[in-house]
Amino acid sequence: MALNVLKDWIGGSNKLERFWLLAKIEFKLRYYENLLGLIWALVKPISDIFIYYVAFELILKQGVPQFVSFLFIGIILWNFFIESSMGTIQILATKKYLYEYTNMNKIEIYLSVIGSNLIGLFFNLVMFFIFYIFFEQGVTLITWHIILLPIIFINLIILSLGFSLILSTIYIYAKDITQIWAIVINLAFWISPIIFPPETFMRTMPSVKYLNPFSSIIINARDLIMYHTLPEWKLLAWGYIYATFFLLLGIYLLNTLGSKAAEKL
Amino acid sequence: MDILDDDKIAITARNISKKFHITEDSHNTVKQRLFRVFDPPRAKIVDALKPMNIQINKGECFGLIGRNGCGKSTLARVLAGVYPTDTGYVKTKGSTMLLNLTVGMSHELTARENIYVSGSVLGLKIKDIDLIFDKIIEFAELPDFVDTKIKYFSSGMLARLGFSIAVNAGADIMFLDEIFAVGDIIFQEKAVKVLEKSWIENKTVILISHSMSTIKNYCKRSAYLKNGYLEFVGDTETAISKYLSDNQEG
Repeated sequence: MALNVLKDWIGGSNKLERFWLLAKIEFKLRYYENLLGLIWALVKPISDIFIYYVAFELILKQGVPQFVSFLFIGIILWNFFIESSMGTIQILATKKYLYEYTNMNKIEIYLSVIGSNLIGLFFNLVMFFIFYIFFEQGVTLITWHIILLPIIFINLIILSLGFSLILSTIYIYAKDITQIWAIVINLAFWISPIIFPPETFMRTMPSVKYLNPFSSIIINARDLIMYHTLPEWKLLAWGYIYATFFLLLGIYLLNTLGSKAAEKL
Repeated sequence: MDILDDDKIAITARNISKKFHITEDSHNTVKQRLFRVFDPPRAKIVDALKPMNIQINKGECFGLIGRNGCGKSTLARVLAGVYPTDTGYVKTKGSTMLLNLTVGMSHELTARENIYVSGSVLGLKIKDIDLIFDKIIEFAELPDFVDTKIKYFSSGMLARLGFSIAVNAGADIMFLDEIFAVGDIIFQEKAVKVLEKSWIENKTVILISHSMSTIKNYCKRSAYLKNGYLEFVGDTETAISKYLSDNQEG
């Protein structure tokens, strides 16, 4: 199904235009409806960073070099994942009007929401690089390694899309998946290498590095941006294996559970 | 009917049927499912469509008649691909659109955005929508509300906008579910005129209506449904007379 969509897009139908149109409208709905609008897209990561900086650097004195940048990368990638999974649990209910009257392929709806979140991620990355280049002092800032970043983002997109599909199709039959996922995501946050320095993380929870589908994304993104090294290929491969698995499971669930969305929701 | 050339067929449905499982006390949460495994909710099965075959040709206007609750709208949804069929298969050629009084629009979006989204969902390119945009607004009689969110619209305004989008953007296969109840009398007359103006001739249309005169006017072939059974498919005259005689008996 996903392959068919891709084929259609390349085949010059209007699907790419539609993807962009829906993504833009989604983005507008999320940010332009509020008083402060787009500022929220910037305030959210900054407030997160401020809180964790106070807790872990000022109070616990972790002593991670360039801790703000370290956090910044982890937080914006994590927030993208949260928005794309938590934020889309009810997507089949809220976007029912798109598939209830036509035979539009539902996967396009998911892709457009991911697209909208990518616009947000882009703004956050611009903010990060402005901070990194102008405020982070005394380090070699950026090397050629960052051209490999798209590999990480693709991994992130596949993983997010997979969870988005899984959670939103389960929602059709069990509404409280929302609360369950909130708990899972809370735990996942603390066992992902977002706040802790890599050494602490490895010393206390070495196996989690390979068991957690998200650790590859954060560790490798930091390697490329801050530590100027190649990604850990083995870890990257695991990241892709997990993401692909969840995506395939998600597509399977969309085709089975998801086909009844119009009548159940 | 099966001998017909494949290119001339818009919809083929073989052995389709549809049951709805309706739970009386819905176990919609994981907790309920976990703790009440041995006390399943009382399920009611509604046999909405009994197994049937149906074939609709390209370019034809096909009527669907029957009493309330006989399965007309369910059949339309199954044929349009909105509901999956429980058995058999449905094959459609081209995009489909279901139009009824609450056509697919988001209440959080403005009329302008809804026109672009609907048009795009129906397969049009943005530049094609640009071309028909003014026509849609003009026909819907909403020039002063282009950038108003449609949640502030009256139900008549909503119906007019939906109808106007459908008429101007349209899909290859259109399911029109009681659309002649749209808007006030003046708009209704306008709507009927548009349908007469050859619009209907270029498309495959499945017309659902309780108005026998409408069905007689537009449809050569019709299907009569009774309690989920496909009682009759064929020429409209016969379908209508069967329907009417059944009603008299009842």
